[in-house]
Amino acid sequence: MTALTVIGVGSRLRGDDAIGPLVIEALAEQTDSQLELVDAGSDALGILEYFEGRDHVLVVDACRMGCKAGYVEAIDPAQVDLILQKDPLSLHGLGLSEAIKMAKSLNLLPHDLKIIGIEPESIQFNGSLSAPVQRALKMVVNIIHDELNRVKQLVEA
Amino acid sequence: MSRDLDIKVHHLTRVEGHGNIVVNMKDGVLEKAHLSIVEPPRFFEAMMKGRSFREAAIITSRICGICSLGHQMTSLVTTEDALGLEISEQTVLLRKLLVHGATLQSNILHAYFLAAPDFLNVGSVFPLIATHKDVVLRALRMKRLANDIADIVSGRAVHPITPVPGGFSRIPEKAELLEIKRRLLEEGLPDGLATIETMKSLAGAIPQFERETEYISLKHPDEYALYQGDIFSSDTGATPVSNYLDVTNEFVVHHSTSKHAKHHRSSYFVGALARWNNNHAQLGEEALAAAEAMGLKPNCYNPYMNTIAQVVEAVHCILDSVRIIDKLIDRGLKNEKPNQSPTRYGRGVGSNEVPRGILFHDYTYDNKGNIIKANCIIPTGQNLANIDDDMVKLVPELMDKSKEEITLNLEMLVRAYDPCISCSVHMLEVDFIE
Repeated sequence: MTALTVIGVGSRLRGDDAIGPLVIEALAEQTDSQLELVDAGSDALGILEYFEGRDHVLVVDACRMGCKAGYVEAIDPAQVDLILQKDPLSLHGLGLSEAIKMAKSLNLLPHDLKIIGIEPESIQFNGSLSAPVQRALKMVVNIIHDELNRVKQLVEA
Repeated sequence: MSRDLDIKVHHLTRVEGHGNIVVNMKDGVLEKAHLSIVEPPRFFEAMMKGRSFREAAIITSRICGICSLGHQMTSLVTTEDALGLEISEQTVLLRKLLVHGATLQSNILHAYFLAAPDFLNVGSVFPLIATHKDVVLRALRMKRLANDIADIVSGRAVHPITPVPGGFSRIPEKAELLEIKRRLLEEGLPDGLATIETMKSLAGAIPQFERETEYISLKHPDEYALYQGDIFSSDTGATPVSNYLDVTNEFVVHHSTSKHAKHHRSSYFVGALARWNNNHAQLGEEALAAAEAMGLKPNCYNPYMNTIAQVVEAVHCILDSVRIIDKLIDRGLKNEKPNQSPTRYGRGVGSNEVPRGILFHDYTYDNKGNIIKANCIIPTGQNLANIDDDMVKLVPELMDKSKEEITLNLEMLVRAYDPCISCSVHMLEVDFIE
């Protein structure tokens, strides 16, 4: 029975944008039947399919927050303004902010949803993970383990 | 009419590429009208060099979140061409099912989330959630069904993992395919028919603009070509895929970091409308009826109708997926292992119709099965010159409209092509000389 769903968003070919999928890969090494892992790649709209019927969801993605590279923040989407991508010319205008805004308007948001945002240093194409974001990866994995324990206790109680 | 006009539409995005529309008119004379692409180059060749034939398709599937399956399928056929890997009829059928899922998903997302807000003049999909919630939910339901087809056949929807050179590393179960068939008929078909009604109701808002151009797509002797075939030009007829460089003739322009393409004229059109114009006679009666209901006629020269051709294809993909599943089950699913024993090494060229148009991959392998040379020509790159030619004809036709209306018409034109600027992998660094 799934207690916590973790969705990694991002492209593995774009430097620090790979952090979402790489966190999923790191977590996959330690299997836990109560942890559901999803690598959504860069199809942000696809995350809506994993909101349905789930109470506790974490979305891991590189986020521009204006902080130092490698900075990690657990963001409650209800508490912040997500900046919409201003690209009305192509379907790439539908990113994570748009997906969450859409889920909000359609009443599809899980009641406990957080975005684990990691400030990237570079999202250049064909780059690798920067040193600060590489260090952040371990921190994010620990945050997810703590969150899983918290949710397990909630579910048992 | 002498008029000055200066339009610059700049779009910024977080991760993906973007395009800017630039129009400049002085004393009624059009000096400039084009879509400029500004994104750092992608170095497709550098990315592929040294990769083994087992990795190539996985890497290309990660180029873009929207086009991952199209790149993957085209990468596989290219590798198989280069290494002389024969594939089974079952593999071909399963791949066609995957291509239908990807085409359905992409066409529906474009029609509902990018084009419909234009036809309703509401700016984006968000106002539609309040006014047309059922329609937005229908679009998401269709996306999900398409995703689930990919999930079952390929192991994972966005970045498929079981399609490998020579076949599939896992064959779906009969029960899984039957469940997809049930959903295609009970969910997909009614949603597809409702989509036709929705688009019919919006048809009056589609701009009336025509410019005949050269239409290039694949053509297959037995079916509406999406997976494999010969290159077909509405001007010059058929030529084998191995001759693609004679068709694409890429060239550099100052206003774009993405190369342009031309064949028999100054530009050509690829995508759903080109496929419709070249191959509509091979569609089934339901898809043809859908086209008629939405006012799409053979030899349509209105680029804004590309969206309608996409919806016709969505209906085709739903119904043809059912036929493919029936065929797979009638034949009996075999637990085949992929054929990964190369019979030769060297160059291979592959092409499929992906949602945005004809896609080419071209690899050369060394005798260890590693890539030493790679090329990729994407549909959006091929359409750029055609979009510019459309703009040059369209802007003077709109002279009685306000600058805002002209801008909206140009944005709608670009959106009608459903561009994937993020996929413009074949780029050069260009210094802008203004």
